[in-house]
Amino acid sequence: MKEYRGRFLIATIVVVQAFFILIARMWYLQILRGEEFEKFSLNNRIRLVRIPAPRGRIFDRKGRELVVNRASFDVYVTPSEVKNIEQLSTSLSNVLGINKDEIKDKIKKASVENRFKPALIARDINRNQLAFLEARKSSLQGLSIEVNHVRKYPYGKLGASFLGYVGKATQKELKLYTDITSNNIVGKSGIERAFDSYLRGKDGFIQKVTDALGREVKNNLFNKESIARNSIPGADIVLSIDLDIQKAAEEALGDRAGAVVVLDVRTGDILALVSNPTFNPADFINGIDPLKWKELVNNPYHPLLNRATQGIYAPGSVFKIVTAAAGMQEGVITQTTSFYCPGRYKLGRRTFKCWKTQGHGWVNLEKAIVESCDVYFYYVAERLGIDRLAPYIKEFALGVQTGIDIEETSGIAPSEEWKLKLFKKPWYQGETTVTAIGQGYLSVTPLQVAVMTAAVANGGTILKPQLVKRVLSPEGEPIAEYQPIKRAHLPVSDKVLNTIKEALKGVVNNPNGTGRSAKSDKVAIAGKTGTAQVISLGKGTHERHQDHAWFTAYAPAEAPEIAVTVLVEHGGKGGAVAAPIAKEIIEAYIRLKEGGNV
Amino acid sequence: MMLDRRLIKNFPYIPLLITLSICTIGLVNLYSACYPNELIVFKKQIMWVVIGTIGMIVMSSIDYKVIKRYTTHIYLVSTLMLILVLILGKEISGSKSWLSLGSLSIQPSEFAKLSVILVVARFYEYGFQKEPYGLSDLVKPFIFIAIPVSLIMLQPDLGTVLMILTIAGSMILFMGIKTKSLVILALLLLGLPYPSWKFFLKDYQKERIKTFLNPYHDPLGAGYNSIQSQIAVGSGKLWGKSFKKGSQTQLRFIPAQKTDFLFSVLAEEWGFIGGFFTLLLYFLIIMWILDTSSRAKDIFSSLVSLGIASMFFWHTFINVGMVIGILPVMGIPLLLFSYGGSSLITSMLGIGLVLGIRMRKLPVLNEEMEIKCIS
Repeated sequence: MKEYRGRFLIATIVVVQAFFILIARMWYLQILRGEEFEKFSLNNRIRLVRIPAPRGRIFDRKGRELVVNRASFDVYVTPSEVKNIEQLSTSLSNVLGINKDEIKDKIKKASVENRFKPALIARDINRNQLAFLEARKSSLQGLSIEVNHVRKYPYGKLGASFLGYVGKATQKELKLYTDITSNNIVGKSGIERAFDSYLRGKDGFIQKVTDALGREVKNNLFNKESIARNSIPGADIVLSIDLDIQKAAEEALGDRAGAVVVLDVRTGDILALVSNPTFNPADFINGIDPLKWKELVNNPYHPLLNRATQGIYAPGSVFKIVTAAAGMQEGVITQTTSFYCPGRYKLGRRTFKCWKTQGHGWVNLEKAIVESCDVYFYYVAERLGIDRLAPYIKEFALGVQTGIDIEETSGIAPSEEWKLKLFKKPWYQGETTVTAIGQGYLSVTPLQVAVMTAAVANGGTILKPQLVKRVLSPEGEPIAEYQPIKRAHLPVSDKVLNTIKEALKGVVNNPNGTGRSAKSDKVAIAGKTGTAQVISLGKGTHERHQDHAWFTAYAPAEAPEIAVTVLVEHGGKGGAVAAPIAKEIIEAYIRLKEGGNV
Repeated sequence: MMLDRRLIKNFPYIPLLITLSICTIGLVNLYSACYPNELIVFKKQIMWVVIGTIGMIVMSSIDYKVIKRYTTHIYLVSTLMLILVLILGKEISGSKSWLSLGSLSIQPSEFAKLSVILVVARFYEYGFQKEPYGLSDLVKPFIFIAIPVSLIMLQPDLGTVLMILTIAGSMILFMGIKTKSLVILALLLLGLPYPSWKFFLKDYQKERIKTFLNPYHDPLGAGYNSIQSQIAVGSGKLWGKSFKKGSQTQLRFIPAQKTDFLFSVLAEEWGFIGGFFTLLLYFLIIMWILDTSSRAKDIFSSLVSLGIASMFFWHTFINVGMVIGILPVMGIPLLLFSYGGSSLITSMLGIGLVLGIRMRKLPVLNEEMEIKCIS
């Protein structure tokens, strides 16, 4: 390639010159100004300090604070800056009450990992400790104190099951949300998780030039603003929950294990949602203690489970609402159809009992619901068959998800195909019999029962249960508003629905009604009791073997406003245990509406 | 036939050794940049170096005439991959540049550099006589360049677009172009920034250009990288702070220190001496490729070598220039050095091509001598 010799010469000159420029610049930076840069990198360090964005707050529907933030002062030690580890760990041990060797170990371990990175020694120190350390900061080299925002719960455990808890982001969550770092706190359950992207906010950074003693230094080499990016606080959430009703519901349930749901039947707003026993969200704010976590996870009462939306139970006699509606709508019974209840019912060689062993005698539909006669519904089931009954289960919002924004379980709406698919076995007629009274495979959450009750009360509309009314920007401007969402309509005629509503009034107000203990002299209540068998064989006095008690109600009976569903685990009879709780909550609602105190 | 004894005897061991030395220096610094929590990245890069070395040796054993014959095929496959990545690619920090192959991701735009070099060299093989070229003569190579460039623009990967344009531009300039055409092209290039700023550039790209003009404006953006990188380089002084002892590196002050800013780790921990020695290795390998190009027996192999030399040259100059603060921060890796499988394999395949060309050049010299003797 002789003819290109000149061009190769030019190319060579270009390359040589370019490399000369690079080397010259390196010479300038490393040799001529090296001392300066070295000092800068070692003694006058630019430090990027995260300014954590405060998480959004959570309010009840009237703007009362349920979850807010407070400052937490955390103690850090930067191993590379420690001059006297003995003195430092002794002082820290005295002030913080942590074992001295433990502190030394932490610093040494951090020093091996990354000696320039501040290592956490203690979180959330108190005012006295803070004042003491701040005063001695200059003599304790390597020590730094950082301010963090942590969650504060003015009402303690109140609403913990739906508010949820927070914690450090896991690897999985870091992948899921692209805009967070491993230092970020994210919502782990409930509203905190479902609305995390609104609540989280965006961290800012402050740029600090500090010397080895941690004092800020002004430097002329890189003169720039110290705040690199301001933090943006998270958005606030306004819930549909009413603090007063929530309190009343929690008090009414008391120490009993169980769940309460209070819905506005006109909008689907959740006014109260209780699950007991529950956890204390304050235990999680700085990362939960492993021992406490183990205790929570291994607790036989599963405090982390939200019983109202995730607990699944047989609906028991509450389900008779569905069986009765299906029977009438399908035309196998009418309002006046009567059956004779001798206390038992024979199907082939099997005998099914009524809860009232001596029998109800002749019963019509209304009496069957009011006195909760099992045998009546065994006959209805016989006439309906599972194929005609099964669709009504899901259409009454049972055994399917309600669409609530937080974690929920669907439960089971059994049918012939469902059983064949799952167990590869055919459906037996006896299974239809028990399904009709809400036993067998059927399992539902208290929230589903509440949604069904609200639908019966409001004339047939199945609404999405809403926990959140709106999201507000940090400046208080609404970002998102949540309107009532109609999901479906009950597949029954008004006549059928009115017959059932009449009977539900009787359950509470008839002297023989199973829910008569919910009868109130302040407001007309309509409802249905339920007793769900837990272990059909091992019935006994032991608490864990007792039946679950249900009561679902709405009020006022003539112009319904709220639906209340109560479930008491192993509570025994629904009428005796659950109904008074529901009555208490409804009366609290009425008092509140009339402007009084709860 | 392909690997007869003469070829093995002619095998250029020294450039191979230089290449592997650069890779090793890169690995040492990557280890320091990853230590102690991300050593998986280091292990992945070792695997890429092994794959790259095998690719390089296999490439050198293939006669470049065979490659010349298949240039069109190589170009088509490469273009197809660029289309594929737009459809199936996964998006990482705003650009769709990666194709997933199981657990590995490859970046087809890196391979496009080689295919553009080949296709431009192939063009000149047939149009040798009509020098200097006017714009109308160059329509074909412009189209060949424009197709992959626009596909990569769509990802978007501005750094690679810039590299392909500079590499191909160097080759075209080298082959000669009419002064009038050059002026028109220059005007066109100067006129391009405004519409591209207005319509094509994404916000983060604009941000990068803005911080170049005023690096101290946004201390957390790209300007921050530039400041921290200069502190790292400068504080390395003559001998460096030694392996794993660089405070800038260990404190993770430089966000892209495993990829585009890996050279800053070298400069901080091994000082001017380490940086100088490594740049010397790059200089030697570029000069050796240029030498191969000047001695090549035909236009195609000469121009392929020239293209690869310019690829190494521009990558080194722009990357190191950016690390030491004389050029803006761009997503351009230091070849053979920065973390990243596709760029490493592309560079090693490139070196392999030149090794093959070098090995097969001697017989021609003999022929030439014979011709001379006769005449």
